[in-house]
Amino acid sequence: MLEQLLIFTRGGLVLWSSCRALGNALKGSPIDALIRSCLLEERSADSSFSHESYTLKWAFHNELGLVFVAVYQRILHLLYVDDLLSAVRREFSEIYDPKRINYDDFDEMFRQLQKEAEARAEEMKKLKQSGRAPPVQAKKGGAGQRTLTGVQGNGTKKGTGGAAKDDSDGDTGNGRLLSNGVDNGTKGTNKSRVASMGKENGAPDTGAFDVNKLKMRSKTGKKGDGEKKSAPTKGEPKKAVKKNRVWDDKPVEESKLDFTDEKGDERMERDVVVVRGESMMDKEEVISSESEGEDDNEVEGAKPGAKKKGWFSSMFKSIAGNSTLEKADLQPALKALKDRLMTKNVAEEIAEKLCESVATSLEGKKLGSFTRVSSTVQTAMEEALLRILTPKRSIDILRDVHAAKEQGRPYVVVFVGVNGVGKSTNLAKVAYWLLQHDVSVMLAACDTFRSGAVEQLRTHARRLQIPIFEKGYEKDPAIVAKEAIQEAARNKSDVVLVDTAGRMQDNEPLMRALSKLINLNNPDLVLFVGEALVGNDAVDQLSKFNQKLADLSTVATARLIDGILLTKFDTIDDKVGAALSMVYISGAPVMFVGCGQSYTDLKKLNVKSIVKTLLK
Amino acid sequence: MELEQLIDQTKQWISEQPVEQIYLAVAVLIITFIFFLVFSFLRTSKSNTIVLAGLSGSGKTVLFQQVRDGSSHQGTVTSMEPNDDTFVLHSDLSEEKKKKKPVPLHLIDVPGHPRLKPKLDDYLPQAAGLVFTVDAQDFLYNYQAAAEYLYDILTKAILVKKKIPVLILCNKTDKVTAHSKEFIKKQLEKEIDKLRASRNAISTADVTNEVVLGTPGTAFTFAQCQNKITMAEASGLTGNISQVEQFIKENVGR
Repeated sequence: MLEQLLIFTRGGLVLWSSCRALGNALKGSPIDALIRSCLLEERSADSSFSHESYTLKWAFHNELGLVFVAVYQRILHLLYVDDLLSAVRREFSEIYDPKRINYDDFDEMFRQLQKEAEARAEEMKKLKQSGRAPPVQAKKGGAGQRTLTGVQGNGTKKGTGGAAKDDSDGDTGNGRLLSNGVDNGTKGTNKSRVASMGKENGAPDTGAFDVNKLKMRSKTGKKGDGEKKSAPTKGEPKKAVKKNRVWDDKPVEESKLDFTDEKGDERMERDVVVVRGESMMDKEEVISSESEGEDDNEVEGAKPGAKKKGWFSSMFKSIAGNSTLEKADLQPALKALKDRLMTKNVAEEIAEKLCESVATSLEGKKLGSFTRVSSTVQTAMEEALLRILTPKRSIDILRDVHAAKEQGRPYVVVFVGVNGVGKSTNLAKVAYWLLQHDVSVMLAACDTFRSGAVEQLRTHARRLQIPIFEKGYEKDPAIVAKEAIQEAARNKSDVVLVDTAGRMQDNEPLMRALSKLINLNNPDLVLFVGEALVGNDAVDQLSKFNQKLADLSTVATARLIDGILLTKFDTIDDKVGAALSMVYISGAPVMFVGCGQSYTDLKKLNVKSIVKTLLK
Repeated sequence: MELEQLIDQTKQWISEQPVEQIYLAVAVLIITFIFFLVFSFLRTSKSNTIVLAGLSGSGKTVLFQQVRDGSSHQGTVTSMEPNDDTFVLHSDLSEEKKKKKPVPLHLIDVPGHPRLKPKLDDYLPQAAGLVFTVDAQDFLYNYQAAAEYLYDILTKAILVKKKIPVLILCNKTDKVTAHSKEFIKKQLEKEIDKLRASRNAISTADVTNEVVLGTPGTAFTFAQCQNKITMAEASGLTGNISQVEQFIKENVGR
């Protein structure tokens, strides 16, 4: 059953709502969440959006500037929603008038449309059902009944018609268990198929649900079992003592090589460095992702051909004016734009998603006279890029530092990232910048793995004349960080900058260690350091980092990446696409940009210039 | 060749006309031209645009609807685009004894979502007044963000240059837990004072149009600003917007 169907303008005025009696009785205002996290994030080309216990689907009418949103319970799997949305859009656009605000007469029309859509969906189900023999199994039927009544609060036996569609996500088991003898309810012929667990997180309050389904299913759902598996494996690393990291199957040499500097610092213990096999310098393969230059030549050849045709027809149309933009018209312009973005080192799937989102927002719009399709698309894309790159929360670190100072605790920043992006260097730059604003800084050397990491930080600390907290090598970084923060609180330092070891996003034990560090110390800012040279890998890095931090977190609200530090910006001339990929995939703003290798080379991101460079 | 002939012909024609007529024609042209210039000058100084700004969720769109239609209808959601309309104040419509025709008001409601902040810069140049809405009920949760937004607005060069008056509107006063406008004023002044210290420390590479607010060295108060800043209270949902309308009337169609 549809919870609510809402029609509102892009300016925020609600024109019509299907459940007016209850007002906006939806839990947690899902519509606002939809707008903030999906539509304004240029993900409007997605098929649906889930928020807490609801799923939302939407449709646009770009010419009139209207948005139609349908909200229903996530566990239901209504098929007729898309159909209904397009029907509603069609009907409403006929009665819409900008001056009019009351659309109560649409209620009748809506009820009718809803019935029609449900009937159509029911017919389609019946067709499919008659096409195959419904397997009947008594035991599963019983369980199916149980889950059904558990799901539906009102207890009406909803028709299932469970024709198990040939889903690949393991729903077949469900379909079978629901289809058999459960009589179709006369009203509301929605099928209440249990939603695919593989796609969405199981809601915690349907715990009994999960167990039943897991028993029934032949194939295990991804998330359901995944959660169970991670719980027992979590216990393991706690028991095992941290072993030396072995990158290859090489025997470990026993001789210890100690190159630490004895004089100068009496607090430092005698550091013992164990050589882990042969030096990996010869074995290292530098994989630089190349998204630029791929298929450039073919694209160039194809572009002029398509351009000529597009230019003629678009010139004609632009003079005639008053033509509605169709998807086919947008395709060539969007493809050209996408290629242009990719030559600027934007990750391929990001460029694709952006283009689709722009297409959704332009479809059905009327072309102004004397404007070409390509220029409309360009303006829309520019606006979209500006929107994405504008930070959605304040990036004023100094203010947060002062706020933390008033509360009497140090402001903790953790630098995370993959190997070799410039964490330690940029950490020193940030320390230098903070020092210039009369903020007392302390460094914490939690990179206890890489040879020379602690010495490197020590050198920086000596040059900047700030205290550094270190415990040498082979210590647990989480504990080191905790003690560093306590020390900073004692010293009354304002900021603690925590350096961590670089790690690949696929490395499970290392990501777990990082998550432990973050959970234990609850820093104020988790800064992901990424280099501007990265190409398609940026998407993978950030999404995996975020996912691991969310999965392995012990508290309800996981700490995710709060900001991005973009490094090596001076090495790319105008291929600035990495900034866009990172911001799009993580939603975190770019707080700093490192553009050189000395202390002063740190600046803020200039959004307008980046957008201009991307679209040049 | 033909062009030269044409020119010669017109010269001949002109010399054939009596001299006074030519002088008269030229004089009329000059006078009309001067009239146009004067009119355009007068018109630009009388802008009838009021801009509504504020954080997301502070009640701008509801206020927009109230001022325009007199009721808030079915509620609102987060705005994705600005609401832009020109109309006569709803309260003006009901007063028939007014002899003067009420000046149409151009009201713009700019979305408060942080990603849409640049849109404000498009509308500020034509503004005759700015209404900054603050959620008086949830003030303590987001007063830092509100102060930051207000600081950004007050330091925009165009606002200072044109001395656009600002009305800080404490919205949602119909709720029981709403704070008073004096409390809100003090909190905002304190926050802006702190912001002054931290903001002036941005790297100069990115400073676009920052202006130092108030007098440095002393605690910041709204009275120190060059443009007029006033406080008011209102409630968008119940329609208690008399102070807003007063502000509008003062600044539009002067």
